[in-house]
Amino acid sequence: MKKSLLLLSLVGVLMAGCSSTPMDAPGDPSSNYYGQDGSSDAATSESLGLDELRSNTLLSQRSVFFDFNKYDIKPEYSDLIGAHAQYLNNHSAARMIIKGNADYRGSHEYNLALGQKRSVAVKDALNSLGVDDSQIETISYGEEYANQECQADACGQDRRADITYEVE
Amino acid sequence: MVFRFYSLFVGILLLISTPIYSLEVIEILGGKASEIPIAIVPFEDSVGINSQKAHQIISQDLDRTGLFRPLNITGISNSPSSDININYTKWSAMDAQFIVVGKVESENRDKKNIEITWSLIDIFKEKTVVTMRYIGKKKQYRAIAHKVSDHVYEYLTGSKGIFHTKIAYVKKINNKKYSLNISDFDGFNSRPILNTTQPIISPRWSPDGKKIAYVSFEKKKPVIYIQNLRTGKRTLLANFKGNNSAPAWSPDSKKLAIVLTYNRNSQIYIINEDGTGIKQLMRSNSINTEPSWSPNGKDIYFSSNRGGSPQIYKINIEDDEITRITYESKYNLSPSLSYDGKLLLFLAQDQGKFKVAIQNLISNQVLKLTKGPADESPIFAPNGHLILFTYKDYGKTTKIGTVSINGLKRVPINVGNAIIQEPTWGPITN
Repeated sequence: MKKSLLLLSLVGVLMAGCSSTPMDAPGDPSSNYYGQDGSSDAATSESLGLDELRSNTLLSQRSVFFDFNKYDIKPEYSDLIGAHAQYLNNHSAARMIIKGNADYRGSHEYNLALGQKRSVAVKDALNSLGVDDSQIETISYGEEYANQECQADACGQDRRADITYEVE
Repeated sequence: MVFRFYSLFVGILLLISTPIYSLEVIEILGGKASEIPIAIVPFEDSVGINSQKAHQIISQDLDRTGLFRPLNITGISNSPSSDININYTKWSAMDAQFIVVGKVESENRDKKNIEITWSLIDIFKEKTVVTMRYIGKKKQYRAIAHKVSDHVYEYLTGSKGIFHTKIAYVKKINNKKYSLNISDFDGFNSRPILNTTQPIISPRWSPDGKKIAYVSFEKKKPVIYIQNLRTGKRTLLANFKGNNSAPAWSPDSKKLAIVLTYNRNSQIYIINEDGTGIKQLMRSNSINTEPSWSPNGKDIYFSSNRGGSPQIYKINIEDDEITRITYESKYNLSPSLSYDGKLLLFLAQDQGKFKVAIQNLISNQVLKLTKGPADESPIFAPNGHLILFTYKDYGKTTKIGTVSINGLKRVPINVGNAIIQEPTWGPITN
């Protein structure tokens, strides 16, 4: 029930995005040939809309936070996820890697699996907004880079999925 | 990188009578067995050993198990060093049920070697029950003392001792340096077999003792390596898309259960030790991880959140039937079985605290062995009578220690100031 509500709100965000912001036209097909004539950087930058990635406030938000032992995405992240979905849909050459994390409590292996569930939850939300599976890779770091001495609320910083792009 | 086995020392059994005690694990759990009072008398030493003395090593070994009560006998005059002229009345008055006596001498033929002769004496029955002589190099003094502990333990409990075995663990320094280390079971003689700048988790010693499988983040994501301990060479077992983790050896050391994600959730697969023949064990939308084989190789225990919160289940690998095993706590993790298959060892969250727990698989009775709050990574000694686990020292730095199977004795293993985590235990060797 909760999930379907979330999806609805995500779709809403995406549609709102479509109507209010003019979409970037896909780059000239020739610009997709990376490494040609030494113009690869410019070409890559154009086809991937790197300027947009760097300047857009929503796109510069990269972390989705979760509750203890949970991996359902809270409604407050709909805008962030909607913006990244739109970006991926507009730039088919863009490749996203989502890195899941967990706080230190519990076993290393279960936390690795929990972090993976978190990155997959973000991927599923993006997929439901039309993003192609081949554009997203999900991995987990579990608790390996987490604060091993956090107390109570501070541990929440480690319960997250981080969005990164391959070109960055 | 090369793992050197001890060059062999020689042990000669001079006398052993039939063991009179045989402690059943189930009995121990029921709390029926009481600690055996035993006096380890300082060995007469004509060699001049200047490291920790044999009687101290043996006392510490036996004390860790929670099944013995080594008596404090400092200040005793005229200590015996052999089983001749034992004053049974005196030892009996001190409440000693057994005593161990011995002496350390230079070997007659080769003065570079030492000779340790020792006896286990039953004070109540007024007779010597074991006498042995060990001949070895001076640097094998500690190893010989552990062998004495093994024999005392085996005679009095009916189970093999584990005091000669090795453990491995991960050392983490300033979040920048990680190493996989091997040491004696009590932390002595440690040495790294792998140094890296990225995390290492889930080392698992193969039951045949030859290899350790582990998960490394060297490739910017978790992948599984197997390292040969004799040659130091390692091979990449699993580097599939997504995460590769949680290696678990089959009892015959020929296969491993591993966890892969590809682009989805963590699922359990079985793969041959050489990386061939991979197949998925089961498919589900939930987390399935931390596989661990039953000693007969027929079941794989694992943790899963298929029922909501993580619990321990088992799957029969022939008919794929899945059974839930744990019910008591809301959150149970990290299963492994004792070597007789009768006990499940796991991590239970109890009132917000993570504790080491044991479930008797016949009665399903659960016993929490530690107090938490952040204990982890429990693993059985190869005789199933002692457990290695991690805890947070002063609530901060993760360290390793042992807890006895009756929960009575928790003793740290000191291997330095760094963070020490993710231990594994090598097999009993001869």
